[in-house]
Amino acid sequence: MGTHFEADRRQSEGNLPFEWLTRLRYRRFSTQMVGEILSKQWADSLVPAASMVFVIILFMILAPGLFTAANLSDMGRQLGEFGLVSIGMMIVMIGGGVDLSVGSIFALGNLTALALTSIYDLPPLLVLPIVVCLCAFVGLINGILIGYFRLRAFLTTLVTLITVRALVDVLLLKFAVQISASFYDNPIWDFVGQGDVLGIPFSMVVLIVIAAITHVVLSRTRLGWHIMAVGGSRRSAFNTGIAVRRTICLTYVVSGALAGLAAFLYAARLGNSGSYPGVGMEIFALTAVIVGGTSLGGGRGSVAKAMMGSIIVLLINLGVVQMGLQSGSGQLFLGLVLLTAIAVDVRFVRNKDKILSRLYMSPTYFRLPAPSDPDDPSSPYAMNDRLRDVDLIGLSQLDGAEDVIFDADDNLYCGDRLGNIIRFDGPDYKTPKVFAHIGGHPLGLAFDREGVLYTCVGGMGLYRVYPDGRVEKATDQTNRTTFSIIDDSRMRLADDLDIAPDGRIFFSEATVRYDMENWPSDALESRGNGRLICYDPRDNSTRTIVRKRVFPNGVCVEPNGKSLLFAESWACRISRYWFDGDKAGQIEPVLENIIGYPDNINRASDGNYWMAIMGVRSPALDLALRMPSVRRRMALEVAPDEWLYPNINTGCVVKFTAEGKILETLWDRSAENHPMITSMREHKGYLYLGGILNNRIGRVRLPDADPDWTGPASYWGQR
Amino acid sequence: MAMFDWIFKARETATVPSMDGALRPNTALDDAEVLAEAEAPDNLVLSGASVLYSSGNGLFELGKSGGKSRSRPRAGSKALQRFESDVLALAAAPDGGLAIALKGKGIAVSGGAHDGTMLAGIGPKQLAAVTSMAFDGADTLIVSIGSEKHDVGDWQRDLLELGESGSVWRIPLGGGEAQCIARNLRYPSGVLCTEGSVVISEAWRHRLIAISADKPNTIRVLLDDLPGYPGRLSARGRDGAWLSVFAPRSQLVEFVLREDLFRRHMMEMIGEEYWIAPALRAGKSYKEPMQVGAVKTLGVHKPWAPSRSYGLAVRLGLDLMPVASLHSRADGHRHGVTSCLEHQGRVIVTCRGDDVVVATDAEQERGGAA
Repeated sequence: MGTHFEADRRQSEGNLPFEWLTRLRYRRFSTQMVGEILSKQWADSLVPAASMVFVIILFMILAPGLFTAANLSDMGRQLGEFGLVSIGMMIVMIGGGVDLSVGSIFALGNLTALALTSIYDLPPLLVLPIVVCLCAFVGLINGILIGYFRLRAFLTTLVTLITVRALVDVLLLKFAVQISASFYDNPIWDFVGQGDVLGIPFSMVVLIVIAAITHVVLSRTRLGWHIMAVGGSRRSAFNTGIAVRRTICLTYVVSGALAGLAAFLYAARLGNSGSYPGVGMEIFALTAVIVGGTSLGGGRGSVAKAMMGSIIVLLINLGVVQMGLQSGSGQLFLGLVLLTAIAVDVRFVRNKDKILSRLYMSPTYFRLPAPSDPDDPSSPYAMNDRLRDVDLIGLSQLDGAEDVIFDADDNLYCGDRLGNIIRFDGPDYKTPKVFAHIGGHPLGLAFDREGVLYTCVGGMGLYRVYPDGRVEKATDQTNRTTFSIIDDSRMRLADDLDIAPDGRIFFSEATVRYDMENWPSDALESRGNGRLICYDPRDNSTRTIVRKRVFPNGVCVEPNGKSLLFAESWACRISRYWFDGDKAGQIEPVLENIIGYPDNINRASDGNYWMAIMGVRSPALDLALRMPSVRRRMALEVAPDEWLYPNINTGCVVKFTAEGKILETLWDRSAENHPMITSMREHKGYLYLGGILNNRIGRVRLPDADPDWTGPASYWGQR
Repeated sequence: MAMFDWIFKARETATVPSMDGALRPNTALDDAEVLAEAEAPDNLVLSGASVLYSSGNGLFELGKSGGKSRSRPRAGSKALQRFESDVLALAAAPDGGLAIALKGKGIAVSGGAHDGTMLAGIGPKQLAAVTSMAFDGADTLIVSIGSEKHDVGDWQRDLLELGESGSVWRIPLGGGEAQCIARNLRYPSGVLCTEGSVVISEAWRHRLIAISADKPNTIRVLLDDLPGYPGRLSARGRDGAWLSVFAPRSQLVEFVLREDLFRRHMMEMIGEEYWIAPALRAGKSYKEPMQVGAVKTLGVHKPWAPSRSYGLAVRLGLDLMPVASLHSRADGHRHGVTSCLEHQGRVIVTCRGDDVVVATDAEQERGGAA
C-alpha cells in the first residue's frame, strides 16, 4: 500500500499544469449562465434584436441621411401602418397558417376609406369601423375557407390576393378620378394622417396600443394560448378540446381587420388613389415576421419579434432607397435576408433543445486535499466492520427511508419513495404502516415542540404532518435571488431540516439544478448550487439565509439554540451557522476534508454529533473535479448510466465533537447490509440507520450510550 | 453555416458494441462447477492426458481428467513444479513437450523433443511480456509479446498509454533465427495456429487478425469490434476455438482513452487499482471509480451495471465467428477470464479475477438472460 500513500501525497501537493488558469477561468465565467439564458423564452428574441441593432448601425454608416428628424417622423408613420399588418400576419402564422392576401385587403381598405371620405363625405369616425369591418369580412372569407373547409392557407389566400386585387382595380377605374378631384377637409382626418401625440406620430401610437393589446392577448389570455396551441400541434389542440376551426378562422379575421386599420391610417396620410398601395406588402410582412424569429411552422412567436422584424424590413427598404440604389435592389437584399432568416429558424428550432441539453451540465473547478486513508489503522476513519451485524427493520418493506426519527412515545417514523410517511410502533418495530401520504419522497424529518412532524419532501418543499396524520404544506417557495437569470424561488430539492427552540425551521435545499432522480449528478458540477432556508411558522414567512453552498445536506441545531451545523456533501465539510447571538449570520468551519460525502447530522447522547457519510471519495473522481472540462465532455459523450460518480455504495457513520474532532467511525466494509447510509438517529442506546436507496432500516447497539436518551427529550425536554 | 457546425458538431459519443447475438449475456460461468480455487489461475493447457494451469510461479494439475471429482483442490495441493519467477504463459507441444514462459527469464521447454531448451531472448532482446504461446508443429513456437515497454502485470498502463509495441514471433526450437511475423500490434494477447496462418487476438484493437505463413506482416481482420478485450485462444479440436475475453470495454474507459491529459495525471497521481481502466476484478475497494449504473438500489447490484470487470468466454465456429458464449455479469463472481480449454466435452475456464477454475458443458446452448 506504500505506493498509494505516496500517490495520495503527490495528489495533495502537486499542481496540474496551468491549474491556476483553470481555477480562474471557472471562477470568472460559467457556462451555467449561458445555459440558463438559452432556457428562457426571451432567448429566442436575441438573434432578431442583434440583427436589428446591426441594421440600424449599418444604415447609420451607409445612409446617414436616413435618420434626420423629418425622416424619422415619416418612418414612424410608415412603421405604424406596416407594423399593424405584420402583427396580423404574425397572429396567422402563430396559428399555423399564412395570409398572402394582406396586401390586397390593404388596397381595398385604402380605396374604401378614400371613396367614403372624398366622394360620400362620411365622417372619419364612421369610416373607420366600415373599413375595418369590410377588411375583417374579407379575412372572414379566408378564415371560413381555411378554418372550416380546411383548404390550404397558401392557395386560398393567394386566390383572395388575386380576386381582391382585381376588385380593387375595377373599383379604381370607377372612382379614381372622383377621388382625385374632390377635396375632403376634416380636422380628425388630418390628425390621423399628420398629427402627433406627445411628439409621436399618431399611427405609431396606434401601433403601440395594438401591439400592447396583442401581446397581452397572446401571452396572457385563453384565446392567445389557444392560438399558440393550435399552431404548435393542431391534433393535440383538438384532442384537448380546443375549437381548432374557430380559432384558425379567427386569426384571419384579426389579420384582415388589422390590415384594414393600417389602410385607414395610410389613406389619411397620403390620400393615394393610385393602383400601387399594398402591392408586394404580403412579402414584406412575411419577411418581417420570419426575420423577427416567428416560426414558420407555427406555435412560436411574439409581438416583440414581429416589431423587430418590421423595423428591420422597413429600414432596409428605406435605406436602400436613401442610398440611391436601383429600386429592385431593395427587394433583392430583402430576399437574401429572408433566406438567411428561414435557415436560422429551421436550424434553431431543430437544435435548440440539443444545445440546451449540452449546456445544462456545467461542471466547475473544485479541489480537495487528499483525505485521510481509512486503510491506515491510525486514521480516525480507520476501517472496521461494526455495522455488518446490524438488526434489520422493515427489510424489503421499505423503499428509500432517507431519514428515520422517533416521537416521544418511542414510535419510529421514516419516509419512502412512494410518498408516504411510514410508522413502526414501538417497542418491537415489526409492522410498518402508512402514517400519512404526502405524494413526494420525504427526506429529512423533525418533530416540533407540539409533536408535529415536519418533513422536507424532494420536489415539493417543506410539509408538516399532524399527530392525527393530517398533511399540510408549510412552504414551497422562498425569496428569489436578486440577480439570478432563472427563477429560483421554487424549491427543487429540500433535503434536511431541524427546528430551533423558538420554533423556526432551518432546512437545506441541496441543489436548485437537479431533481429527486438526478441529485448525484450535482456532484459532477460540484458548484454551490444549494442553499439554507429558514421557515418561520409564527408569521408563515420563508427566507433564504445562506446561498451558493455545495449540496448542503444535513442540518442540526445545536443545544445552545443559537447555531446550527450543516453538511455540504460534495465539498466534504461541515460548518457552523450562527442564526442568533453575537455572531449571528456568521459561518465558521467545523470539519473539513472528510473522507466521504457527509449527509445528515444528528445529536448523540453524550453531547457530540453523529454524521452519516453516504459515500466515500475515490481518487479518480477527486482528480476529475480538478478538471472541469473533462467532466463536461464526459457528460456529453458518455451515456448517463456510465458516468463517473461518487461512490455511494459504501458508507459509514462518524461521531464527532462540536469542535470537529472525530471520535469514532462505524463501517460496513463489505457494504452488504448498508450500502449507502444517509441518516442515523440515536434512541435509547441504539443507533438507527436510514438510506435513501435502501430497502431497510438498520439498528445497531451502542454499548457506551445513555440507554435513556431520546431525541425529543433532548430537543423539547422531558414530558 | 460554419457557425452552426461549430455549435452543433461535437466529438462522437463514446460507444461500445452491445453484447448481442452469440454474445447475449447469461450466467453460465456463475453456474459452472468449481474445479479448483487457486490464486490468480492463468493459463490452461492440455499436456498429454493431464490438464495443467499456471498460478503465480507454480504449475498445477487439475483433478483427474478434466475434473469430474467433487473435491476442490486448494492452490498448491497438486503443484507439479515451482519456478523462480512467475509463469506468464504455457504451451503444450503435440509430442508431450511443454513450453513455459517465465517472467524475466525467458522460455523453458521441458519434455518432448526439445527438452531442456532455454530461450532467454530473441537475438539481443530479452523475452519479456510474453502474453501467450502456441506450438506450430513440434518444432516451432509462436510467441506473442504484449508490449515492449511494460510487463504483463502492467497491461492497464500499456492500454492507457495507447501502447502499440506488441509483436508476434515464430521461433524454431531446433535452432535458427526467430522471425517476426507481426509488429506494432496493440497488445497481442493470444495466438492460435490454424492451417496456413496464425490467428492473433489484438487486445487494444478489440479484434482477431490472421497472418498467413507465406505472407508475414500482411494482416487480415477476422473479427472486429468486440465488446471486450480479447485474450488467449485455444483450439477446440477441428471445430473452431475458445476465446477468453479478459476485460470488458466500457464507454467511460473509451472516453478516458481520448482524454490524454486526464489519463496522464491519473497515472501519475493515483494508485493503479483506482484508475479508470478495465480490470480483471473490479469493486475490491471503495476507492475504485464507480459509475452511475452501479449504484446499489434496494441492496441490489444490478447485473447490467457498468463494470470495469466481467467474465466472458466465447466459443468461435470454424470460421472463427462467435457461436456461443459463457458470461459472468457485473454482479457475478467469475470475472477476468484468462484462458479456456475444451476437454472431454467440457470447457474449463480460469477466472483469474476471482481466483477460481470452473468447468461447464462445452456444447450447451443457453438463452440469454432476460
